Amino acid sequence: MNFPPPSGATDPTPRQHVATSRAIGRAPVSSIPEHLANEFFFAGHDDRTGKPLLHPAALTLGLAAALLAELHGAGRITFDDGDVRVTNPRPPQDQLQTLVDRLITEGHTQTRTWLAFVATSAYDHVAGRMSQLGLVQPQSSGLLRRGKRYAPTDPNKAFWAWARLSMPLSSFKPLDRADVPLASLVWATGLHTRVLQFAPGGTTAFLEQQVQRADPVLRNLVDDLRAAVGDAVLCRTS
Amino acid sequence: MSHAASDTVSGALARNRLGAVAVMFIVLAAAAPLTVVGAGVAIAFAVLGVIGIPVAYLVVAVVLAVFAVGFVAMSRRIVNAGAFYTYVTHGLGRPAGVAAAMVALLAYSAMQCALYGGVGLILASFVGGPFPWWAYALLVWMLIAVLGQLRVDVNGRILAVLLLAEITILIIYNAVMLTHPADGQISFAALSPSHIVTAGSGAALVAAITGFVGFEGTVVFAEESKDPRRTVARATYAALTVTGVLYALSAWAMTVATGPDNIVEAARSTDTDLIFALVAPHVAPIFVTVGLTLIITSLIAAVGAFHNTLTRYGYALGRERVLPAMFQRTNTTTGAPYVSSLAQSGLALCVIIVVAMVSDDPMLHLFFWGATTGGAGVLILMTVTSYAVVSFFARHRREETLWRARIAPVIASIVLTGILAAALADFDVLLGVAPDSPLRWVFPGAYGVAALVGVVWAMVLRATKPDIYATIGRGANVDTHRTASPSPVTQPV
Repeated sequence: MNFPPPSGATDPTPRQHVATSRAIGRAPVSSIPEHLANEFFFAGHDDRTGKPLLHPAALTLGLAAALLAELHGAGRITFDDGDVRVTNPRPPQDQLQTLVDRLITEGHTQTRTWLAFVATSAYDHVAGRMSQLGLVQPQSSGLLRRGKRYAPTDPNKAFWAWARLSMPLSSFKPLDRADVPLASLVWATGLHTRVLQFAPGGTTAFLEQQVQRADPVLRNLVDDLRAAVGDAVLCRTS
Repeated sequence: MSHAASDTVSGALARNRLGAVAVMFIVLAAAAPLTVVGAGVAIAFAVLGVIGIPVAYLVVAVVLAVFAVGFVAMSRRIVNAGAFYTYVTHGLGRPAGVAAAMVALLAYSAMQCALYGGVGLILASFVGGPFPWWAYALLVWMLIAVLGQLRVDVNGRILAVLLLAEITILIIYNAVMLTHPADGQISFAALSPSHIVTAGSGAALVAAITGFVGFEGTVVFAEESKDPRRTVARATYAALTVTGVLYALSAWAMTVATGPDNIVEAARSTDTDLIFALVAPHVAPIFVTVGLTLIITSLIAAVGAFHNTLTRYGYALGRERVLPAMFQRTNTTTGAPYVSSLAQSGLALCVIIVVAMVSDDPMLHLFFWGATTGGAGVLILMTVTSYAVVSFFARHRREETLWRARIAPVIASIVLTGILAAALADFDVLLGVAPDSPLRWVFPGAYGVAALVGVVWAMVLRATKPDIYATIGRGANVDTHRTASPSPVTQPV
């Protein structure tokens, strides 16, 4: 996949965006972390080099799901058996919203369509947002240094996305409720096989139990994400 | 769902998706036209001993096109549309679906193993040297196994260039053969429709179907094509037309070059080199070398395509937990379903080794028996699938036309059943064994056993794991409680 440069230019006020999304909308309807996509971005990349740990389809779909989950957390959309319903049509103006507006205006209601469409720019969106916040640093990589990677500026912060899942899961302790959404995304994209690679046997089954604890609306999104990632494995077109 | 003409979302999503030409190239690579003509046709003449092979290809192309009408229409309505067993599950129930899955695994495995044998044998005769065929087969096996693990797909453009080169060289060969007829005049004897009702026609039809296996892969892209309503249908019919015409033309040209009465004898004396032996006296040696090289690349592409098909089946069945859950494991960084890929690489390795140890004629025992048995398995799958399409549309006709939902599927069911019955009656001819040989029952019987295993396993799942039983046929969509296709976004016209 081609990772273009951070699109900070099109999103000049990320801090403001964060504050806005907190202020506008109803009270959060579920305990979804405000920056779930950032957490998933950290989890999906090497904590030092920023090398992606997931194949592009799973990574971009996972980020798209994280962004949609953030919108759900902000009370703007909800998921209902494969469909997206808009609960608050007056959201803040940011780059993600222009995508959402297009989906709404053109009458798309299926979660799979939303995931696929948001996935086309989710990587740039999240990487750009994190660069603006100083969480990652764009770097050249690969042959001829033409590729682009986003290395975490603080590896410890990046590693925490893994540790908060792998530590309790490895000792079969229930996850913190706030970590269930991230765990759900990690599970649905297949990233758990990396996160739990040194964990004892049976950890994956325990993770699946933990994922069941997510609220039903989020489960709905996660099921569609898992199906989308699976279909991408079955039918790779890129 | 209807979308306005200014549907930018659909446009953006369609940009990364495949058009009809791209889909056609992908499935034609699996069909490996030069291999079918270079090796399949010659060996079919030799083993079956009939001259009606060209007309069999034409008949099969038409039958498969009629089958494809309902098949493609149904592919738009279901999830996991890339696998025959999904159609059977929706149309005829879950036990039949699992039975179809087992038959499919066996049929495609037979096909893949046959191609490993074919590529080994052709490489051995082309390169020569001290190594036996199985050494070359293992070399290709290693290449495919590694590519499957890394999920390195051969670039679509390379496949397209190779395919176009194959077609070009076949057209040149055909021109050479038709301009050098045996008795100084072109004979149309091999194209006489009377051949399809003569003895051995069932075997000839199965041998012909074998050449088309892979065309059904278009529906894998039902959800990933630019325009699901048209792309898959166009690609399917285009693939059937290109291969049907090419196979029939080439097989007929061979009978012209040898004279219709001599084709069987010529095929028996030259084996897979028939087409090259026929053109060699009339063209520069480079044309033969290029043809032999392309036959090898086409075989490698085909074996890779069957590897992918089997890997997909294993992964989807693992997702549903019909096969052990480990089959759904993927490599995180490449997305390769590595367990499914490894499992069938292991199986193919065993088959190559066993055949190398016991067989004195691997061209017949591995390549031809494997390919025709695989073709017969795919014929069984298509027959059952056509019943499933009829049954499905009896309940969910919705906005499909009468032709797509009823007439074509019913015709396909009847004709495919007839071909299947003729094939079973002719299986001794198909294998080239004596009429009283037990082998004529062993090969088709293996599919019966596979189907029985599938039905029993489905029953066990229903009794012990009803939640798994409920999700059979959903592939990657096991968690979404959805069986209908998520009506993929269509591209604005």
